[in-house]
Amino acid sequence: MRRIVVLVLLIGVVAAACGGSAGGIEVTDVWGRPSPSAATNAAFYMNITNGGDAPDQLVGASSPACSVTELHEMYMKDGGVMGMRPVQGGAVEIAPGATVEFKPGGLHVMCIGITEELKPGTTVPLTLTFEQAGDLQLEVEIRAN
Amino acid sequence: MKRLPIILAVTTALLAGVWFGARALRPYSFHGTIIQSPEPAPDFTLQSASGPVSPSDFRGKVTVLFFGYTFCPDVCPTTLADLAGAMRILGDEADEVQVVFVSVDPDRDTPERLAEYVGSFDPRFVGVTGNEDEVAAVAAVYGIFYEKHEGTPASGYLIDHTASAMVIDREGRLKLVLPFGIGPQDIAADLHELLK
Repeated sequence: MRRIVVLVLLIGVVAAACGGSAGGIEVTDVWGRPSPSAATNAAFYMNITNGGDAPDQLVGASSPACSVTELHEMYMKDGGVMGMRPVQGGAVEIAPGATVEFKPGGLHVMCIGITEELKPGTTVPLTLTFEQAGDLQLEVEIRAN
Repeated sequence: MKRLPIILAVTTALLAGVWFGARALRPYSFHGTIIQSPEPAPDFTLQSASGPVSPSDFRGKVTVLFFGYTFCPDVCPTTLADLAGAMRILGDEADEVQVVFVSVDPDRDTPERLAEYVGSFDPRFVGVTGNEDEVAAVAAVYGIFYEKHEGTPASGYLIDHTASAMVIDREGRLKLVLPFGIGPQDIAADLHELLK
């Protein structure tokens, strides 16, 4: 019986490895690309769902793999020109019942000054800080291109 | 009256023939934007880690020009990864494709740094740069816009830039524009069509 409990716990830990939830906020599909040689920056992507009744905000992120971590968004200007800027107000609103996608060409967690090579098939820790839900510890899955 | 089934069969066969014929003749529909009256692609020379590079060096191949910078965390790695994916899908045909990454950040991107960077997506990719004026001139003739703007203290300056890739056909004509984010499958299909 004890073995089964341990096994169930282990499965729970493995299943939670790349996502996590706290206070109605659920984060899934946390990923990044392998870092190209000579690259100094990277981007992390994820889906953030607010299953609670109250609005929440993603206010920050940190990772030992990055010297500095910022919340950025890409935006399209005229003629296919893409610009990048820190998110307005330094926070991303997650409305109740909404899922906000962080994806290439849109929102991303910008990892400035990578401190280690991001290798395909590995994970790096990432902490997302929400105004209401607090800190959420996650693992970023580095996916082969 | 006995002839009716024969007439029907013949009519059906004819209609089917016309339908299949029309399908075969219908032109391929590109995922990128095709340039209807393609002009010769402006030639230029910029520096790679292994010497000068000009689009005209690759006449006979299909050349993809993409403008970006190595500090770029999102659009550039995404596009280079998509182009590398397209190369894998094309298999042997990929040897007829040359991807050239042009840095719009000559201050920070040296030819050596570019070679390392693009090489980790596909060893066949080439990265080039020049001095500020040379890069500006190349971008201008290809209608590529880029502009430095202040980032945060950590990120340093960032560069807004045209995220589409320009494709030059085997004859050296600027033929196709690939918008950002269309993915490796669609890029491979378009390049395959240009290689025919």
